[in-house]
Amino acid sequence: MHFLAASIESLGAKVVGWFTVGYGMFAFLGRAGLLLLEPATWNRATFDVVVKQVYFTAVQILHVFLGYALLISWLIITIILSTARDFGLVEFASEMTIRVLVLELLPFLTALFVALRSGSAINTEVALMQVNNELDALAHCKVPPMQFEFLPRLIGGVVSVVTLAGLAGLLAMLMGYVAIYGANSAGFEPYTQTIAKIFDLKIMAGLIVKCALFGLAVTLIPVTAGLETPKKLFMVPVSVLRGMMRVFFAIVAIEGMSLALKYI
Amino acid sequence: MNKLHFKVGLFAAASLLLAAVFIVYLLHARGFFEKTFHLQLAAASADGVAPGVPVVFSGIEIGRVTSLGLNDDGGIIIRTEFLGRNAKWLKENSTFTLDKPIVGGAKIRVDSPDLKAPALPDNATMLLLTSDISKEIPALVARVQAILANVEYLTRKDGDLNTTLANARTVTGRMTGEYGMLEGVLGSPEKARALTDSLEKTRALITRLDGLAAKADQWLFAEKGVADQTRESLAQVRLMLNDAQSSLKKADATMANAVEITDNVKASTQDLVQLRAEIDDAVRKANDLVNEINKKWPFARKPEVKLP
Repeated sequence: MHFLAASIESLGAKVVGWFTVGYGMFAFLGRAGLLLLEPATWNRATFDVVVKQVYFTAVQILHVFLGYALLISWLIITIILSTARDFGLVEFASEMTIRVLVLELLPFLTALFVALRSGSAINTEVALMQVNNELDALAHCKVPPMQFEFLPRLIGGVVSVVTLAGLAGLLAMLMGYVAIYGANSAGFEPYTQTIAKIFDLKIMAGLIVKCALFGLAVTLIPVTAGLETPKKLFMVPVSVLRGMMRVFFAIVAIEGMSLALKYI
Repeated sequence: MNKLHFKVGLFAAASLLLAAVFIVYLLHARGFFEKTFHLQLAAASADGVAPGVPVVFSGIEIGRVTSLGLNDDGGIIIRTEFLGRNAKWLKENSTFTLDKPIVGGAKIRVDSPDLKAPALPDNATMLLLTSDISKEIPALVARVQAILANVEYLTRKDGDLNTTLANARTVTGRMTGEYGMLEGVLGSPEKARALTDSLEKTRALITRLDGLAAKADQWLFAEKGVADQTRESLAQVRLMLNDAQSSLKKADATMANAVEITDNVKASTQDLVQLRAEIDDAVRKANDLVNEINKKWPFARKPEVKLP
């Protein structure tokens, strides 16, 4: 009896914990959004930090990322094409390629890529600032951390993921064309027809919103996880671990939701 | 110059440019810059047709179904939309067929037999034909089942076909024997041998008969044969008889004269009357003979010896 009560109690504690984390995250997002609406936020200093964030999150890794996207796209396109040829379904290969790569796989991998590289860094940085009382010091010096530390990171994350996913998608479409029709213009009309069929307004808007949500997830969750860190140095790795797990679950949840909205 | 800012600026500019190019390309692909062409298809049933069903020409998609509706008479009106550049494939003599393959989605097939025919006007209404393979399947299955049942009946264990086959095997088995086909038909080699023996005998007999007939031919009908000689002698008999007839006629005339002259002398004519009776008798006999010969003679006439 005591065991049952204990397990129910621990379940309740977990649920409360999830809700607290969720509430903290959305409250933070709300504050960031409200701040974005204030004209005072739009100043040169904030812009500089945003540019710096975009540089570190997107530009610095661009060549590595594009190489990685190229490799993954080439592999997937080859698999789809050879399978389609085996089953005599080549006419669906181009549509399949675009749907799988551009709409689903590449945005997902981009989000994971950015989360591993920038999300973990942001989480560690924020946790260390929290442990070292730097955030309080900044606030004391009239440098509100929300405006100069957190908001630029969120914006940078969203811009980076949307741009990187878009570039990878364009690259994959180009590769798909070359793989299916070869390096000539013969297949331009049918390929254009396929692209026109796939990318209607709903799909385009859905893709951009999904990428923006990915960008938000890989920056917002590490920031809030870092802010939750107790002021003890040994809690920093624990904070990063928790933050990265949440990021992973959030990315999978967003992907699942987008698929459900698209196909159900 | 801030290197970091330059790189980010380059990245942003390139990304924006690519995005803009892609959006323009997408708008072009979706026909934003050209007029859309509308076509209405009248159909008996909208089964399998839904918005988004492609309209294909020679296997390439040129348009789509946008909406379905009913007209005032309860008929189905399927509205389709084409890009302006694809409208040239739609001609006044084009046919529109709804294809519902067993695998894959439905599509509307356009066939334009003559591409020089006048183009369809915008918002025209055409008839949609249906070629539904799946509807023909049940009928086909029923027929195949009937055929299979027949085949099963024919090939059952004690069926006619099996018996026939067994018989055929026996017959062909016999046919491979010494007397071949004959043994197959007659049932055993002994009977076959008896038949071939009698056939041999018959052949010999016929050969002999042939020789006999040739000899008879020669004897009967050859030049100077029996038949010719008979004909000649008969012709002579006929000549002789004709002569006899004419002499009898002369005697007749003499007799008449004699009777007239000696009319008065009654007493002395008793001998002449008797003579006359004797001549009459002779003439009748001759006449009978002539008739008899003419009956047997093939070129029959009616020769008659007339007495006064």
